[in-house]
Amino acid sequence: MPHALDLANLPDADVVALALEGREAAHRELIRRYERPVFSLVFRMVRDRELAEDLTQDTFIKVLSHLDRYRSEFKFSSWLFKIANNVAIDHLRRRQLDTVSMDGSPHATTPDAVMASAIELSDHSESALEEMEAKELGSAIEQAISRLRPEYRSCILLRHVEGRSYEEIASTLDLPLGTVKTYIHRARHELRRALEHTRE
Amino acid sequence: MNHRHLLPNEIDLLVDGEAGFGVAPLRAHVAECDECRARLDDARIVVDALEALPHFAPDSRLADRVMAQVPVFVPAHVAARDSVTRWLPQSGPARAAAAVIGTSIAGLLTVAMIWLASRGDAAIFATSLFADRVQSLVMGTARDLAFSLLGDSAVAAIQASGMLGVTLLVLGFLGTAVGTILGLRRLATASSRRG
Repeated sequence: MPHALDLANLPDADVVALALEGREAAHRELIRRYERPVFSLVFRMVRDRELAEDLTQDTFIKVLSHLDRYRSEFKFSSWLFKIANNVAIDHLRRRQLDTVSMDGSPHATTPDAVMASAIELSDHSESALEEMEAKELGSAIEQAISRLRPEYRSCILLRHVEGRSYEEIASTLDLPLGTVKTYIHRARHELRRALEHTRE
Repeated sequence: MNHRHLLPNEIDLLVDGEAGFGVAPLRAHVAECDECRARLDDARIVVDALEALPHFAPDSRLADRVMAQVPVFVPAHVAARDSVTRWLPQSGPARAAAAVIGTSIAGLLTVAMIWLASRGDAAIFATSLFADRVQSLVMGTARDLAFSLLGDSAVAAIQASGMLGVTLLVLGFLGTAVGTILGLRRLATASSRRG
């Protein structure tokens, strides 16, 4: 078995192979490599640190418990992000059943319908925890990201924070390539408008 | 100069740093058109801000919390390979010595096999004698074991049922063994998850 120090230099596929051989150190290496990117993606999706911790934990438990289902012709990180995104989106959908959406109806098919079904909040009464989170996610760009539709948010974060190609994002999110391009274009447009607003 | 301003998807191509065939005319246009250059700069401000976003760190105990709920099994073939690896010497010279000894033994056995094969009658006689001895030993032991475990009447019933009875008995034994192994494995998994 490779020494623990060697694991850090192995490609993902080799570390996954070692994890499938029952090497706990390989499981931990996969967590070490991706805990920050996965947590950051989930945190920016749900905007609640404690919840993001729980969802990140759920993501890794799902991934590591079902490593035998990973197909090595795809990038491990794409598979991991797919599960992380699904976990976050599932949570947001469940929460939408309990609360009224701020982002517009998920059933809206046109931008106008989304705008019409979205709710503008004028008064933010924040708890101490929310204030702390607001500091972490408080920059203008973070605020603007939080107002994007979840689908746009996943795409733009994978593209520009994780540096994924359009094709990888399409594969990760199970979306057609054209849809990914459209979402990223619209997300950039909305972010640009939001930042213009803050600059004025 | 091309007086058509760039379309939004053309601005996206430039922001993404695409280097395709059609990008050069777009770059040339931007170099000469103040309006399009301003739109491109605006788009780049957004992308630069996104790409400067940091990663957040989760709680430092995340890995421990995850591993407490992930059952880690060592497959049988890996455990067997590890056992063999543990028996192998660690140092280079010791491994070389083991290789020499192993090769010598393998060579001697090969020569012995070739010698036996070249004397076919003797080999067949010795093999059949050995097989008869082993068969009578196994059958005798099995019969004694069956009598002592099941009793005379049960053994007589099995003998009377012929091949079908023996087959059913063996299948029943195998089914019970497999069921027991799966049950124990499920119990181990459940206790591992609880732990």
